[in-house]
Amino acid sequence: MADKKKALKAVSQSVYSCRKCGQCGNKVTDAVPYVCPVKETTPGFDHFYSRGKIVIAQGLLEGAIEPSKELAEVVYTCTLCGNCMTQCGAIDRDTGGPLVDTVGVVEALRTDFLEEHPEWVANEYKALLTATRQYDNPWGVPRSTKEKWAKKLSLPNALRNPSETLLFVGCTVASNPALNARAVKAAEILKKAGVAFAILGKDEPCCGSVQKRIGAVRQARDMVNNNIRLLHTTGCKTIVTLCAGCANALKNDYRLGAEKLKPNVLHIVELFAQLLKEDKLNPTKKKGSKVTYHDPCHLGRHMGIYDAPRDVLNALPGIELIERSATRENTICCGAGGGMRLFESGTLAEKIGQSALESASQTGAEVLVSSCPFCEMNLQTSSKTAAGSITVYDIIDLVYEAIV
Amino acid sequence: MNTYDKQNMLKRALAEVVGDQYVTTDKMTVFAYSQDASLFGGTDAAVVVRPGSTEEVSKIMKCAYHHAVPVVVRGGGSSIYGQPKGIPGSNVLLDMTRMNKILDINKQGMTVCAQAGIMMGKLQQACNQAGFYIFVPAAPFHTVSLGGWLSGAAGGGGIWWETISVTVVLPDGTIVKTGGGPGTNTRLKHHYSRVIGGPDFTGMFIGDGGSFGVKTEVAIRLLGLPHITRACILEFLELEHVLELIRRHGERVNPHPFDPLLVFGPGATEIFSPGSEGVEKFTIMAIMQGHTEREMDAKKDIFNDIAESLGGTHTAELDAITDLMAGGGEAEEKMEMFGLSFFNGLGLAAWLPFNIPRVSFLEIYPKLVAWREERLAEATKKGFECRARFEFFTPSDQCAVSGEVDAFFKDTDSPELREFIKDMILDYQKYTHELGLLDVYNQGVMSRLNAACWSPGFKSLHTTVKKALDPKGILNPGLWVET
Repeated sequence: MADKKKALKAVSQSVYSCRKCGQCGNKVTDAVPYVCPVKETTPGFDHFYSRGKIVIAQGLLEGAIEPSKELAEVVYTCTLCGNCMTQCGAIDRDTGGPLVDTVGVVEALRTDFLEEHPEWVANEYKALLTATRQYDNPWGVPRSTKEKWAKKLSLPNALRNPSETLLFVGCTVASNPALNARAVKAAEILKKAGVAFAILGKDEPCCGSVQKRIGAVRQARDMVNNNIRLLHTTGCKTIVTLCAGCANALKNDYRLGAEKLKPNVLHIVELFAQLLKEDKLNPTKKKGSKVTYHDPCHLGRHMGIYDAPRDVLNALPGIELIERSATRENTICCGAGGGMRLFESGTLAEKIGQSALESASQTGAEVLVSSCPFCEMNLQTSSKTAAGSITVYDIIDLVYEAIV
Repeated sequence: MNTYDKQNMLKRALAEVVGDQYVTTDKMTVFAYSQDASLFGGTDAAVVVRPGSTEEVSKIMKCAYHHAVPVVVRGGGSSIYGQPKGIPGSNVLLDMTRMNKILDINKQGMTVCAQAGIMMGKLQQACNQAGFYIFVPAAPFHTVSLGGWLSGAAGGGGIWWETISVTVVLPDGTIVKTGGGPGTNTRLKHHYSRVIGGPDFTGMFIGDGGSFGVKTEVAIRLLGLPHITRACILEFLELEHVLELIRRHGERVNPHPFDPLLVFGPGATEIFSPGSEGVEKFTIMAIMQGHTEREMDAKKDIFNDIAESLGGTHTAELDAITDLMAGGGEAEEKMEMFGLSFFNGLGLAAWLPFNIPRVSFLEIYPKLVAWREERLAEATKKGFECRARFEFFTPSDQCAVSGEVDAFFKDTDSPELREFIKDMILDYQKYTHELGLLDVYNQGVMSRLNAACWSPGFKSLHTTVKKALDPKGILNPGLWVET
């Protein structure tokens, strides 16, 4: 019989290092209105936030409780945003890393469920994994769909016409017609800046981020290894992503691959900031707008990229950037993280998104800008029912309007 | 009626009070409450309910009283001695943290009234935004609820005197409001005093471990938010000189609330200044918080003069910290520098707190440190690695010195170490009792230990009060004594 709770056992140090003090769910300061978006938008019992999940994980390790369908639901009620870890703030004195890797613990719990009790995992997650196996994207669209956005642009394919820079569009932007324009705009901005780049079109694989987040670690690992081989065959030196999730996966998760990913990984906001600095992008068209920026969890807390998007926004004529009280590392997740759009048909994700929109509205901003298609999609959906009127944009939209 | 039916009956009854979504018997949900920040654990509940108002708590208690069901109350779940166990498997657990609202900030009267489940950090933030301040000395205030603080720490950890009214739901569901303010039996229009028109019933509910009634609302006096901070940090080689400085400080100013004095022992200094191992010195940090630079500079000069006359020395490193504190806005943020994140990172804690009459301090404190060292030697023999020692004390008023001589261990997943630390904590408290001390914590296992020190008269008074308020013994049963 296979080793039970293998993934959880591997992160047991985190479980036992947690002091269960509850700061991860209860901290409030001027910059932290609350910590856990799930706790805030649910009835708020302890298991909805980090401490309760860690207590449950310890119970599982010690055999005090057994896996169940109800427990499977508990472990999927988490956006994996990592704010609990930020607000915990405790550092492991031996490793210098976070004392309690809650994101790692929740991912491990999910992994064990998928490995040992897939029958209790909601069908939506399993369907996503099947779709990935079948179509190489979590959206379940034919591979050819992913190149449609580029049809009129005559962009070189990185496998046939290598380029130093690879524009990695990501499944979410490439597969959803509503988001395709984002890829087109990004490509046109790069052209305008004189950046030579190629794309993978229908050959672009899924990065494996979503699969890892929902616990399909083995599947994600295979994807990582295959992708590293594919990306190396392109010979590119830099991979530029449009999606914060892809950026985080390529930069952080791919460290666990069988071989090291050689190209440098940049999110498009980092490249924009670089191009602006080098005067290769000259935003001249003025659009008067008060905007506030939503730090995507993958880009912010998980990668530490806070300044680049702000540098970009501050460089756009007529844009007035207003910060929310909870900003940068304290940003409250949009609600789409950790596969939450799949949980209960996205109702919880939507509620969390409404809170994000309401806090943005309170700043007096007219526009909420993000740099992640997952944030954008969830915030767009949530905006239909949220109080206040604020328009949601991706940062690419604003750069495009100022340049092209 | 079997246990399952009884649970379901209770769940239905409580759902009618708070709504379906705020009551649960789900095993996973209930299990999540089985632990808290201590090694002694939380509660094995049958039902968990999250009330949102005093009226809801009253209805819940009426229901529990009618059916004679044990009720345990939980705030932030951050005790160091565990929670009341109640009757495992049968308890209704009141998770009070949904009651986290500020009800009123009276700027003119300088009072705040809040629901008791609010975290002290949230309460402080709201008061700060309104230009006021609650003194919460060097405490983990992001994890402690107002009600938990008043119940679990006798003296309320620095806010006992500022507390002027408590709304309490008695075990039979009766709502009582003590002290001043609208709705009290003394019919005052405003909160301003708790000691007129009758006995200090507010005080009766402070440090009761939550066993006399469920605190639902609390009114507290406020202070103006101090915008100016100054600090003096000096080193001392002799404990006698430190104590003399404490005496002279307390003689001159009230250390509570704007002039706290914090003393760190050799182990703590090692943590703050790696490389100072083996140097037996005490580091004193005096913080002056106030409203004008002139006043704070004068206080700083006076304190420095006294400290230097007693042999205190400055170092460049410590002076740099004082400058940083002076330049950094409100003091409260600085006080958090030894907050939970810091301690949590040190390792698994053997919390060894004390509360010593100042006049006995020089005699008793070294004994506590020696006791710890003996126990740490034993730990080493067993293969447990002590990663840090932390000695800290502060005059809590002119008469008493509160502090701790903690130890932090590596190997946090070792069950043997956990048992060793639990024994260490309990044995330490028994030792302090032998020395004539009683600590301020009235939580979990500590309540039983404290109650063992009661005189027959005190015990009889407690029994009388408890029986009068809780004749069926349903609220936090067994917290102090067997019921």
